[in-house]
Parts: sequence; structure tokens; C-alpha cells
Amino acid sequence: MAETSTQAAAQYNYDIVRKFTIMAMVWGVLGMSVGVYIASELAWPFLNFDIPGLTFGRLRPVHTTLVIFGFGGSALFATSYYIVQRTCQVRLYSGAMANFTFWGWQTAITLAIISYFFGYTQGREYAEMTWPIDLLITVTWVAYLVIYVQTLRRRSQPHIYVANWFFISFILATALLHIFNNWAMPVNLFSLTSYSYHAGVQDAMIQWWYGHNAVGFFLTAAFLGMMYYFVPKQAGRPVYSYRLSIVHFWALSFMYMWVGTHHLHWTAIPDWTSTLAATFSIMLLMPSWGGMINGIMTLSGAWDKLRTDPIMLFMITALSFYGMSTFEGPLMSLKSVNALSHYTDWTIGHVHSGALGWVAMISFGSIYHMLPRLYDTKLFSLKLVYVHFWLATIGIVLYISALWVAGIGQGLMLRAFDDYGNLAYTFIESVSFLYLPYVVRAIGGLFFVIGAIIMAYNLYMTVRQAKRDQAEIDAKLAAKMA
Amino acid sequence: MSEQKNTEGSVQTTGHAWDGDIQEFNNPLPRWWIWAFYASVLFAIGYWIIYPSWPVGFTDKGYLTGVGNTITFKNDKGEDVTTHWNTRALLLEDMQTGPEAMKQKEYLAKVTKASYSQIVADDDMLGFTNAYAKGLFGDNCAACHQAGGAGVMGKYPNLADDGWLYGGSYTQIEQTIKNGRKGSMPGFEDRLSEKQKDDLSEYVLSLSGHEVDRNKAARGAKVFSGEGTCIACHGANAKGNTALGAANLTDRIWSIADVPSAADMEGKKAAIKQVINKGISRHMPAWAGRLSDDEIKLLTVYVHSTLGGGQ
Repeated sequence: MAETSTQAAAQYNYDIVRKFTIMAMVWGVLGMSVGVYIASELAWPFLNFDIPGLTFGRLRPVHTTLVIFGFGGSALFATSYYIVQRTCQVRLYSGAMANFTFWGWQTAITLAIISYFFGYTQGREYAEMTWPIDLLITVTWVAYLVIYVQTLRRRSQPHIYVANWFFISFILATALLHIFNNWAMPVNLFSLTSYSYHAGVQDAMIQWWYGHNAVGFFLTAAFLGMMYYFVPKQAGRPVYSYRLSIVHFWALSFMYMWVGTHHLHWTAIPDWTSTLAATFSIMLLMPSWGGMINGIMTLSGAWDKLRTDPIMLFMITALSFYGMSTFEGPLMSLKSVNALSHYTDWTIGHVHSGALGWVAMISFGSIYHMLPRLYDTKLFSLKLVYVHFWLATIGIVLYISALWVAGIGQGLMLRAFDDYGNLAYTFIESVSFLYLPYVVRAIGGLFFVIGAIIMAYNLYMTVRQAKRDQAEIDAKLAAKMA
Repeated sequence: MSEQKNTEGSVQTTGHAWDGDIQEFNNPLPRWWIWAFYASVLFAIGYWIIYPSWPVGFTDKGYLTGVGNTITFKNDKGEDVTTHWNTRALLLEDMQTGPEAMKQKEYLAKVTKASYSQIVADDDMLGFTNAYAKGLFGDNCAACHQAGGAGVMGKYPNLADDGWLYGGSYTQIEQTIKNGRKGSMPGFEDRLSEKQKDDLSEYVLSLSGHEVDRNKAARGAKVFSGEGTCIACHGANAKGNTALGAANLTDRIWSIADVPSAADMEGKKAAIKQVINKGISRHMPAWAGRLSDDEIKLLTVYVHSTLGGGQ
């Protein structure tokens, strides 16, 4: 069973995994840099330079699309293709279709960010892509599903490993969400504008059913799949509890679908929908934590490795942030807490403790584990992995603490009364209060980006080294043959 | 699946290995985890009982409305209405009975009955008015007139100085806020010669006590009252006309021509000539309909006495 990596390279389709991994890093560095830029615009608005394409409104979807779908999406394609092959011990189904998913996905991302820059958007958060791009994504996604299912069907293992359950649920749920949320009628065949099939409150609820499950299935379930392979692999220990993985998988999949409406508390939605969203969010806490417990307990018993293995540091930190933000989420979804947090930067801080702390950190850890194996080599520098880890961690802490201050502070200012029973602050006073937290947030983001750039350099040097070694071996071989 | 039994003390794996070495222990669910999950379910059930929840058909509303959780508020006719918990009723109730709302209402009732001079004379009423109107000003007026009311030279008049284009009495300020203002002065670019404009600007500067060329200013005075037709609006004494919004040119207060920041006389003259050439066209929107009469009253006091410069 323990085949050598050279054999593995021949047995598995690593080419597609490499391509997606490289694009994950390219989009990641670009998307996070745009994030730092727009964070700086909030602190120093002159950075707009009065150019429409550079304003916050245009660049914000560029940032979210690049980091969620460009970085996160490519990292998921890469790791899921890697994991499904290795846990099924079979080559990926159809190399041509896999290549199609690569080019389809990269084209969609590229077209999306160009169209946002010029102001073409559907105006739906995390689904800003106009309808032709939505169609391209749909076709790409169906190909992804076919490849995944066909590969699973050809497995030479009797059982399907838990990571693959999560990937399959992610692929199915994302297809469902994408199609229903983007159901729209184009104005005409040559217009990028379209009208949503749904209207009013229903449209808002569909959008947030999509929006929150993009978090639930794209950014949580799929990355749990990543965690379930790379954590036991890196720790060299069995997964803590098979039973827990089954129970929390089904509970998570079932609960998540209900909670999107908590993004619309205290708006024109029917109150009963608000209640259901809040309560299912509370019931989602333990199913979410199931994944964290399984991950952390898997690492337990290998704690000594934390001293010598920076990749493990990424993974344990990712799990900790995952646990923290899945606790914070249900808390914020309670109506009374939401009355304070809604429309403030607390929400943005919460998203980033999940997105930077969990999604990005687990991806970094996984890619550090995976890339040397893809190229049959060793990482160029473990020291740089440490540097990256500390930059990223300090960056996240600065980022989320700044936005806790900003969000809770602004929330309290907007509801404060003076001695006469009047509102104590004007809106603009609450905005000027945000300046300092915004500066700290931008600095935190900058730390994070610098870490990602160091990672990109480390990976580039690793690949270069691998290619040189290979060339040397080839040359020696050629010399012997001659 | 050929699961192996757990025996006390030693947990076994499920007996599978993926990718060479990935195995799974078959540990039971952590007790605290499962009990915490049950607790969250109980919490949810309690929540469903108290608040509007499941959309089941057998209630007349079409959904469970919540038990023992009603809100009573007064409708438009003043009748008490009791309803199941809902966000709309919650807001109405809070606005009608909340402690802050009650306090504010009491003050509002007092202030709306009082005259302007009574409000200003009473520390308590004035304190309330300023606190309330600070919010109104910040949310509605500050976008143009700036947070402290200092305005923007050339665009939005300064409300903190002693100059009032349309008059600084309570009634005049109230009129300005209610109906808005259209400030306009024609441009004289083609109607006056360069020499005339030069003389005229010299004269205008002399009105506010600047050291000028007397000969030029004397010629400018003639343009002012003659060909320039300036006296029609600014008046023979150049003290302006609040009925038209024509500025007082003698008070050293400048709202369009940026005389104060010009470095030398040439700069000051250039600033004035610019206005003579291009004229003025600016517009403040009407706020009646957007703000209530009571709110406009409070704002009037705030603009008059707090931002300063009331007459």
C-alpha cells in the first residue's frame, strides 16, 4: 500500500492538482492585496483617486470573488482532486474534463473581476457575476461533480473516506445554491443585465440562503474535507472518532440550510422566519464543533510535533479559529445580539476570523503538506513557514480585534441615548470613531498578505528546486546511457 | 462495515486504512458534546414556544404565534391593541412606552408649546433642543454646511459667523430651512469691460475697509451704482438685502469670493472679479416634508443660538 511518490506521480493525475494549487496562490496573493487596498480606502478615502474602477464599491466584489472563489475555490479543486485520488487509490476520472474544470473556473474568475472593475454586477453579495459567467460556472461545476462521482465509483477501496463525504456535499449544495440564486432572465441576449426570478423579500431570503450556505458548504464543509485528510496525515495519527464524523456531518448538512435568514433579522421578513433562522443557528453550534473536536483530538497525542512542525501550527490554529468563529456566529444570530451587531463591522470581523483564521490557515497548512509531495521534493524553507505562520496569526489577531472594537463600538454609539432621551450620536460621529480601528485592520491585513507572499516565494523556490533536481537526475541518467 | 467492539480502556480503529496510513478511531461521541447539543435543541424548542415560529396551517395566522408573549400598543385611533410578539409592534410599543422615548416626548411637548425666546431662556429646554438638533444637523445639514456649521467657501454658507444672507432672526432661519433657498447673482463677464471690473473690485474691497487705490475705487463706485446695477440688489450702502439673499459687502464676511485667504491685493481682487464674471448660482433644498415642523423648530434654535451669530 505504501507506494513511493514516484509511483504515485505516475498513478495519479498530479498535473491538475499542481495547476489548481498554483492558481490558488496567484489569486490568493492578488485577492488579499485588493483586500488590504480597500481596507485602506476605508481609512484613507483619497485612495479612490476619483477613478470609478478603484472605488470600494467596485473593488469589494473583486476582493471577495478572488479570495473565496479564486483562492478558496482553486485550493478546494486542488485538494479535493488530490484527496479523492489518494483515498480511493485510483486515478482521477477523465483528464480532459479535469482540464476543462481548470480552464472553466479560471476563465470565470478572470471575467468576473474584469466585469466588476467596469461596473457590471448582479448586485447579489458573493454572486455578483453576471449571467453569462453564471452559465460558465454551472457547466464547470457539473463537470466537477461528474469527475468526482466517477472517480469515487472507480475506487479500489471498499469505503468512501470521510473527507469525500464533505466534498460531495459541498459540490451538490453549491450547485443547488448557485442555480437557484442566479435564476434570472437576461434583458436580452446581448445585455449583461438580468432580472431575478424572485422578488422583494423572497429574493432577499433566497440571496441569503445562498449567501450563508456559501459560507456553510463552500467555506466550511469543503474545508472540513480538507481538514479530515491533511490533519491525520500530517499528525500521523488516526482520526479521533469515526462516529463523531458521521453524526456531525449529517447534523451540519441538515442545520446549515436553515440559517441564512439570520442575515435579515430586524428587516421586513416575516418574524417566524427570523426565529427559525436564529434557533437553527444555535443548534448548529455543536455540529460545527464536532469537526473542531475531531481535528483537535486527532492532533492530541502528537502535541510534541507542534514544536518541530510549523505545518501543524497552521492546522491547530485553523481549528481554533474555526471553533471560535462557529461559536461567535450562533451568538450573533440571536435577535437581541444581532440588534447590536447588524450593519456594523463586527460582522466583517466575524467573517474574517473564519475566512483568514480557518479557511486560509487550513489551506496554507494543506498546501505546505501537499506541494512537496506533488513535486517529489522537500519544502525550500521550514523557517519561512514559521515566519509565515507568525505574520498570519498576528495579522488575524490585529484584524479581528480592531473590528470587534469598531463593530461593538459603533453598535453601542448608534443605540446610545443622552439624558434627554435623544440619540446621543450622529451617524457621522460613529463613522469618525471607526478611523483608528480601520487603520489597525488594514495593518493586520497587510501582515497577512506579506505572509502569503512569503509562502508564494517559498513554494516557487520549492518547485524550482524540484525541477533542478529532476534535471540533474535526468542529466546523470543521460550521461550513463551515453 | 466490520466494526470492532470498543472495550473499556482501549479504543480501537474501524479497521480501515486509506492512502496507506489514515485510520479512524471509533471513539464514542464526547458526552459533553452530545449533552450540549441536546441543550441547544431544548433552547430552540423554548424559543419556538415563546416567539412566532413554525409555519403550520392550523393557526389563523398561518404560523405559530408564540405563547404568553404579547405586546400591547396604541393604534392610530388611540385604542389599545394587544398582539403576539412581532418586531413591528415591538417598535411601536418602545416608541410609546420606552423610558427614553417617554423622556424625549415630555421634552418635545414642552418645547413645541414654547416660543423661541422661552426656549432660549430656559436652560433645560435649551439643553434638550441642542442635544436633539445636534443629531438633526449632523444627519441632514452637515453634509454641506459641515459638522461645526462652518460651511465651504464658495459653495455652502458659513452658519457659525455673524453674516446672514437671508436674515438671522428665528422666523427667517425657519423660513430658510422650510422652503430652501435659491441664491443667484448674474455674471457680468460680457456686460462690463475689464477696466470697469478692475475698478469695481477695488471699490468692493474698499467697502470692507481694505486699503485701495482711491481713484480706482471712486470710478468703481460709479460702476457699482451705474452700469453694473449692483445697487439693485446690494443696495446703495452695499449692506445687502436679506429678502433677496444679496450679501452685505461691508461686513468683512465672505461666502463666495475667497478674499480672506488671498495672499495680496491682486489675489483678493482676482477672487472678487471671478464672482463678478461668473455670478452665483446655488441652491439649498427645502426641508419641509422631510423634517417635521417640530424638528425644524429645534434646528432653528440650534442654528440661531448654538452655531452662533443670531440677531
